[in-house]
Amino acid sequence: MFHNNNIIKNIIIEEDKAKGVFFEFAEVLKKAGVDLSIVEIMDMMNAISHISILEKEVFKQTLATTLIKDYTDIPVFNQCFEQFFERKKGNDSLLDIYTLHAHSEDFIFTPEETSLLNSLIDNFLESHPQSFFKKSNEYLTKIFIDEELSSESGGAVGLSLFNKRSQFASAGANDSDYQELSPQLFEVIMGMIRKRMFERTMGSTIKQREDYLLNKYIYQLKPDEIKEMRELIKRFGQKMKNRISLRKKRVKRGNFDIKKTLRRNLQYGGVPFKIFHRDRKIDRPQLVVLCDISSSVNQYSRFMLLLTYTLQSLFAKVRSFAFISNLVEITDLFREMDPERALNSIFSDTNFTYGWGSNYGNSFNQFIQNYSDALTSKTTVLVLGDARNNNQDPGLDSFIKMKERSRNIYWLNPDKQHLWNWSDSIANVYIPYCSEMREVQNFLDLSHFIDTLFIQKR
Amino acid sequence: MFTSVENTIHELEKQKYICSKDIATTVYLALKMEKPVLVEGPAGVGKTDLGKCIAKSLGFELIRLQCYEGLDEAKALYEWEYAKQLLYTQILKDKLSRILEDQATLKDAVNKLTSEEDVFFSEKFLVARPILKAITNDITSLLLIDEIDKSDSEFEAFLLEVLSDYQVTIPEIGTIVAKNKPFVLLTSNNAREMSDALKRRCLHLYIDYPTKELEERIIQLKVPECGNYLIKEIINAIHEIRKFPLKKDPSISETLDWAKALTLMGCEVLNRDIAIDTLNFILKYEKDIELVKKNLHSIIVH
Repeated sequence: MFHNNNIIKNIIIEEDKAKGVFFEFAEVLKKAGVDLSIVEIMDMMNAISHISILEKEVFKQTLATTLIKDYTDIPVFNQCFEQFFERKKGNDSLLDIYTLHAHSEDFIFTPEETSLLNSLIDNFLESHPQSFFKKSNEYLTKIFIDEELSSESGGAVGLSLFNKRSQFASAGANDSDYQELSPQLFEVIMGMIRKRMFERTMGSTIKQREDYLLNKYIYQLKPDEIKEMRELIKRFGQKMKNRISLRKKRVKRGNFDIKKTLRRNLQYGGVPFKIFHRDRKIDRPQLVVLCDISSSVNQYSRFMLLLTYTLQSLFAKVRSFAFISNLVEITDLFREMDPERALNSIFSDTNFTYGWGSNYGNSFNQFIQNYSDALTSKTTVLVLGDARNNNQDPGLDSFIKMKERSRNIYWLNPDKQHLWNWSDSIANVYIPYCSEMREVQNFLDLSHFIDTLFIQKR
Repeated sequence: MFTSVENTIHELEKQKYICSKDIATTVYLALKMEKPVLVEGPAGVGKTDLGKCIAKSLGFELIRLQCYEGLDEAKALYEWEYAKQLLYTQILKDKLSRILEDQATLKDAVNKLTSEEDVFFSEKFLVARPILKAITNDITSLLLIDEIDKSDSEFEAFLLEVLSDYQVTIPEIGTIVAKNKPFVLLTSNNAREMSDALKRRCLHLYIDYPTKELEERIIQLKVPECGNYLIKEIINAIHEIRKFPLKKDPSISETLDWAKALTLMGCEVLNRDIAIDTLNFILKYEKDIELVKKNLHSIIVH
C-alpha cells in the first residue's frame, strides 16, 4: 500500500488542479482517524466524474459511498464534510479558503520553495501557543515573515523571496527595506498560512477529542462529557466487537470429524476422499460482573456495564450484580432493556441501602449464599470497586470460595496503586486471592482489559 | 440502464421501491463504475428488497446466495459432480479398455489415459453454483449475496476474485471470465466486521431508517387502503417510538404490518386504546412495550 500518495497526487493534479481539493478532503479524513487507501481515493475520483457536484446530497453520498467503508466512521465523515464544504455563520469553509488561494503559490514559487515554506509555517505554528492564533491573519503573516523568513533558517527562502520581490516590486519600495513585501506576495503567503492552520486543526481535532475522552480519568468527566462518552462507547464497543469476533473466527478449525467424513464420502463408495474437521467450539468466556455502585466508583461501574453489554454476544453468558452494602442481581434488567435504560433503573433502585457506604464483606457473603450457582470452572469473575470497606468485615472466606469455584477472578480498581491500602481501603487483603488486581483509570484501561480476556488461553 | 440519479429513483419507484437520494446515488454509481455494493443497516430496512427491485427494473436475472455458517466454495462457486463422473467411467468401461487395449506397457496405458483426462474434467461434469452461474449467464445477472456476515471469514476469500475481476478460476479447467459482468450486491447485518480486502472492492452503502416523508410514501404505496390521515399518524407515532431507548426499534416492515393490521381493524384514527392493543405488532420485547405504554400520552394525541 502506498503511504505516500504524493506521486499519484501530482500526476492527477497536473490534469486538473481543481481535483486537488478532493485530495485535501481525503487528507482531512485521514487525520480524523478514518482508514483510507489509494483504492478508495481513486474510486472517489472516478465516481465524481459520473455525477454533478452541484447537487449537494448526491455529491456528499458519492464521497461517503466511495471513501467510508466502516459505518461507525459515518459520524466522523459527516462532521468533516460539514466543516470542509459548508459555510457557517459567516465563517469561510475550508473549501472557500482553498478556492480563494487555489494554488496561487504555484505561480510564484517552485515546488521546492513551496514545501520549504510549508515546513517553515509548520515550525511557526508549533512554536506558538494556541491562543496566539486568534489574532488577525495579516498580523500573523507579518509576524511569520519577521520571525521565520529573516532568521538564519529561513535563509534560502528568504533569499528567493528577495529575488521574487524584484519581479513583483511594489511602487516606492526601496531595496534595503527587506521586510516590505509586495501586496501580492504577502497575499500568497497569508493564504498558505491560513490553509495550513485549518488543516491542522480540523480532522485532528475530532481524533484528539476522542483520544482525550478515552484517556481522561473517568471520575473527572463532566456531565456533558459523560453524555458524549456514551455515544463514543457505543461506537468504540462496536469496533471492538467486530475486531474480536474476526479474531475468534480464525481459530475455528478443530479435530477430525468422523461422522461428517463418513456421511459425505458415501457418494464415493465410502472411500474417504474428503476429510472434514469439526469446528472447534469457540471459547467464549462466561462472565460474572460484581460492581460497586457507591458514589466513589459509580461512574466506572456504569461504563463497565455499558461496555460489557455492548459486547454481550461475545460472551457465553454474562451475569451482573450490583452492590453497595447489599448485593442485587441486575442481569434481568439488561436482558429486557436497552443497556442505557437498564443502567438508569439500577441507579434509581433503592435496594442497595444508600448512605451506609460500601460493604464488600457483606456483599461477598450474600453472593456465596444466594448466587454461587453462577460460578463454574469456566467463569471469569470481575470485581469492580475501590475496596474501601468502611472498616467492616472483609468477608474473606466468601471471597476465597469465589476464587476456588471460578476459573479466575480479576479485580479492577479505580484507585491509583499507591492508594490501594490507604485509609479504609483493604485492597491488600484481597490481592493474594485475585488472579490479578489492576488499576483502571480511563475508558481505554477498561477496554484493554476486556480485550485481554479473549486472548489468554486456559 | 439508469441514466441519472433522478432516473434511478424514478425507475425503482415503478417497482414499488421508494429510495432516498443516498441509496440511488450509490446504486447509480455502482452500475456506472461496475463495482459491487456492500449494503449494511439494521434489519428490516429493505436491503434485500433493494436487490430484487433493481433486478426487476433492469431486467437482470436475480441469483440469490443466502450465506450461513459453514457455507463453502462447493455450495457457492462450483462443484465437480463426482457421482456422475464415476457413473460415466462405469458405463464407458468397455470403451476405455478398448482404447487401452493396444498399449503395450502399463506406463503407456497411463499416458494414454491421462491424455483423455480432459473429458472427465470438463464443464459437462461441473455443477455451477450461484456465483459461477452469475458469471456464465447469457443475460446480465444480479448476484445477491445475502447476509454475508453469517458466513465464515474464509468464505470471503473465495469472493474476492469475483468481486474485483468478475472471473472464477477452476484449477482443472482454467479461468472463466464473465460474459456479462454481473451486478453484485452484498448485504450485512453487522454481526461481524468484513475484511478490509472485501470492503476495498466494494462501494459502501449504509441504509438507516427512512425519514418521515419517505416512510409515509412507502406506506402509501404498499398499503394504499390505509387512509392518508391514518398513515400520517402511524408514521408520527413510529418516529416518536424510535426515539426511546428500545432493545429493538420497529423497522419499516413492522410499520407496514401495523398499518395493515390497523386498516383491517377498520381504524380511521389512531387512538391510545387501539395502540395499546396492537403494540405487539411493532415491538418484540415485553419491556419495550411496557416503556412505550407508559409514555403513550406523549406519542399519541387521541
